[in-house]
Amino acid sequence: MRATVRGLRRWLRYVAGVLVLTGAVAAIVFPQAALNALQLPLLAVFSTTRMVVAYVFSLVFAITYGHTAATNKRAAVVLLPVLDVLQSIPILGFFPAALVFFVATFHGHPIGIELAVVFLIFTSMSWNMAFGVYESLTTIPQDLEAAAASFGLTGWLRFRFLAFPAAIPKLVYNSILSWTNGWFFLVASEIFTAGGTEFQRPGLGAFIAIAGRNGDTPSIAIGIGVLAAVVLALDIFLWRPLSAYSERFRMETATGREIPRVPSPYERFRWLPRLPRVRHWILARLQPVALGYHRLSLRFERSYSGHPKVIKDVRRIDLALFVVVFILVVSAGLFGLAQMFLRPLPPSAALLPSAAFLSFSRLLVAYGIALAWTVPVAAFLGESERASRYLTPVLELFASLPATALLPVIVGFALVLTASFGDAAQLAAILIALFSMQWYLLFNLIAGVRSIPDDLKEAARSFGLRGRTYWRRLLLPAITPSILTGSITAWGAGWNALIVSEYIVYAKQPFVVPGLGSLLNQAVFTAPDSEMLLLTILTMIVVVLAMNKLLWRPLFRRASQRFRLEV
Amino acid sequence: MSNSGEGVGRGSGVTDFHPIAKVSVGQILGLVEAIDEVGGVADVATISQEVDMELDRLGPILSAAEFLGLATVEDGDVRITDLSRKLLHANVRERKAIVRDIIDDVPVFHLITDMARKAGRPLSREEIIEALSARVGSHQAEDLFKALVYWGRYVELVRYDSQSEMLTLRTPSK
Amino acid sequence: MHPLLEVKDVTKSYFENGKEFKVLELVRFDLAERDFVCVVGPSGCGKSTLLRIIVGLDKPTSGAVLFEGEPIRADNPQVAMVFQSFALFPWLTVQQNVELGLEAKGTVLEERHRLARKFIDAVGLTGFEDAFPRELSGGMKQRVGIARALAIEPLLLCMDEPFSSLDPLTAQNLRDEILQLWANPDLPPKAVLMVTHAIEEAVYLADRVIVLSSRPGRMVAELEIDLPRPRNRKEPEFYGWVDEIYSLIV
Repeated sequence: MRATVRGLRRWLRYVAGVLVLTGAVAAIVFPQAALNALQLPLLAVFSTTRMVVAYVFSLVFAITYGHTAATNKRAAVVLLPVLDVLQSIPILGFFPAALVFFVATFHGHPIGIELAVVFLIFTSMSWNMAFGVYESLTTIPQDLEAAAASFGLTGWLRFRFLAFPAAIPKLVYNSILSWTNGWFFLVASEIFTAGGTEFQRPGLGAFIAIAGRNGDTPSIAIGIGVLAAVVLALDIFLWRPLSAYSERFRMETATGREIPRVPSPYERFRWLPRLPRVRHWILARLQPVALGYHRLSLRFERSYSGHPKVIKDVRRIDLALFVVVFILVVSAGLFGLAQMFLRPLPPSAALLPSAAFLSFSRLLVAYGIALAWTVPVAAFLGESERASRYLTPVLELFASLPATALLPVIVGFALVLTASFGDAAQLAAILIALFSMQWYLLFNLIAGVRSIPDDLKEAARSFGLRGRTYWRRLLLPAITPSILTGSITAWGAGWNALIVSEYIVYAKQPFVVPGLGSLLNQAVFTAPDSEMLLLTILTMIVVVLAMNKLLWRPLFRRASQRFRLEV
Repeated sequence: MSNSGEGVGRGSGVTDFHPIAKVSVGQILGLVEAIDEVGGVADVATISQEVDMELDRLGPILSAAEFLGLATVEDGDVRITDLSRKLLHANVRERKAIVRDIIDDVPVFHLITDMARKAGRPLSREEIIEALSARVGSHQAEDLFKALVYWGRYVELVRYDSQSEMLTLRTPSK
Repeated sequence: MHPLLEVKDVTKSYFENGKEFKVLELVRFDLAERDFVCVVGPSGCGKSTLLRIIVGLDKPTSGAVLFEGEPIRADNPQVAMVFQSFALFPWLTVQQNVELGLEAKGTVLEERHRLARKFIDAVGLTGFEDAFPRELSGGMKQRVGIARALAIEPLLLCMDEPFSSLDPLTAQNLRDEILQLWANPDLPPKAVLMVTHAIEEAVYLADRVIVLSSRPGRMVAELEIDLPRPRNRKEPEFYGWVDEIYSLIV
């Protein structure tokens, strides 16, 4: 059976290849005769190429960054928090910087815009992949490391035989996630207005956006259809086989089947310092330094055992240098920040708090809706093997469609449902946030339900737990950690979705709702103001970090203590 | 094939690989050695104490040793056979040859080697499991396949590439 | 003429919260070319740490380890290690795992294959070259570990509780095979240093047994076991030795 499927796949691949080639050739040879729709395969090729280029860069970045952070303890002190912050900045916040840089460097030449788009996609893909690599490398079993060291595997050999294979499972998994992210931002960035000028690159995203702007429903439908086909094709021909292949690299665990888990993003916030007891905090910080110093001395003993004086001197210089560099970097950052705040704030800054509140409430509503439907569905899918076999591929396909591509559909839908444009805009914003958030929640929940040990379920059944009691005593408590993990990721996606959803142009009508996303949009595209831009991004980061520290972290700690399933 | 001693493939049919399906060569050899050390015969309880293994773990290994004709069980006493003494004094290669002769007589093993010989080409994992499922049911077929590959590899009559999942026959070295 | 291995007053301490925890104290012994030495002691006495120091994976706080007169280095190709948890690379086949050390040494392809096949055969795994570790039983995995260690043709084989993850029957079977390998003059290794907590195993296998006390690990005794091989656990001299070692540890 598997052999025939493999054969089928190969055959399909050839067919797909031939189709793409024919489409591309036809589009080139008959530009006039090529209707809008015939362009689409070529546009798809363009869009996919941008994705691939960005992905290659992300891959290289993720492996280099993750490997450095995992092997160099000192670098990790700086690299990991930086990665955290990068991951929290809404992606579209990078866009203005990229635009300015690339467009200016290439003097408005299309290459500059292409590079800006690719850079944007790169920033949406890289961070979680880098984390994945880091996590893989730091969880290699000690004995395997010892074996590698004792057989002389160093440097390149160690990378080739140990580090890289160990990172493959998480890399593949995160690549799939990254591509989903990437599509979202590709579609959002292929056409945009900045400083009065409109920039556009040929691609599926531009096609759909223009169709949306003109209210051209059939074209919207075709465009989304082609995008879906590309996503599906990639899934069948690339990601599924790769996932199956990457199983070979998984470290052996007790249980047979590994349920792919979204890595807990909460773990990244370990580095945030604890606020109360500043004195205790200072003491705690000093002790590792003292310990580290002691360890350093032992380490140098190794290399320079004959020269004690040299050891001491080198130690001192090394430590001093590190401290100096660290202080320089931190003070430069603080100085720049202070400078900005010392200047009088722009008047629109007053809008920030209310904008933040409004955006937050919208996300809250979307989150509530998402929670309301994903929990029952996940419970159903997690328990029924057959239902999940049929429904999961469908859900995965929907989940991989970027919400940005669905923008025109959602707005159209909202228009139909509501009376005025204002209401439609609000509804649309919430719906878009919902679409971005719900999948993270759903898949985490499904994994959570599946990981409930069978004997607990059997015990529940034998004691007659049913209906509400079953939910209250077993199901909900057991999946609480998954709810939290999913929620953290979902909110992260939600903040990003805000930027696209609070300012939309559909059928030549602007749909704007007050909020951080629209402020950001205005600061970038319609009324360029770099200070507002920075302030808005900062506000967003502050809100995200505040939520993480005040809400998610304590909740997570309490949940993992109380609800952890000891297997 | 040479005479393999008493009691191989007792019973009928294809399912008789079951006794050695989940037991490794090392365990069987270890058991035989342990009994040899106490003089060649012992009751099951003594053996269990000697090797510090519970009866439920020891049971399958005893059955396997019996199946291969390396031990006999009578009235709760386990006795090793001449064949197993021959095995104990052989080196690693000779041991393989002895086990090879025994395994080759097992019907289900024949089934697979005949299938491969008739086809004249490598067999895929699916084909073999399908053939086995027809006799023992699909869940057992999976386990049986793994056991056949294990023993087949050990006696060097089978070559199985885990990556491409293809099985071929081979002739043992030397 | 240097002895093959010299362990000179090795001491190892860990520091935590500013306090010193001594794990090993002044361990001193030598190993000659045809020795089979076992280090025994209660769990937590630091014997695994000692082995790692001897192999060069860890550094002593004071003291030194010399191999053929030179300080030991982690990737010394004359010393190979076998691990309690097998430490096989799950994504490599049996043959690729065995060739690992050779690849690091830079041995050419044909020679690598030849050596790998030779030692896969020596441990009785011919036929399993293309199998992955997850298809193997525990005993077979450890055979791969042993073949991997032998493939680089070391002078000294170090083993860290190599049989403790195996069931008793497989363990006994492997013990005999290790003795066979060591006794064969055509095969490496020349010397074996093994760490174990099973005293019977030590008496069964070793020429010399070094007994460590519980933390900090101090040498309590170095005993020469002069029983002829193959040894029988039922014989009074055998369990005489076992009793003696037990009493030394307690």
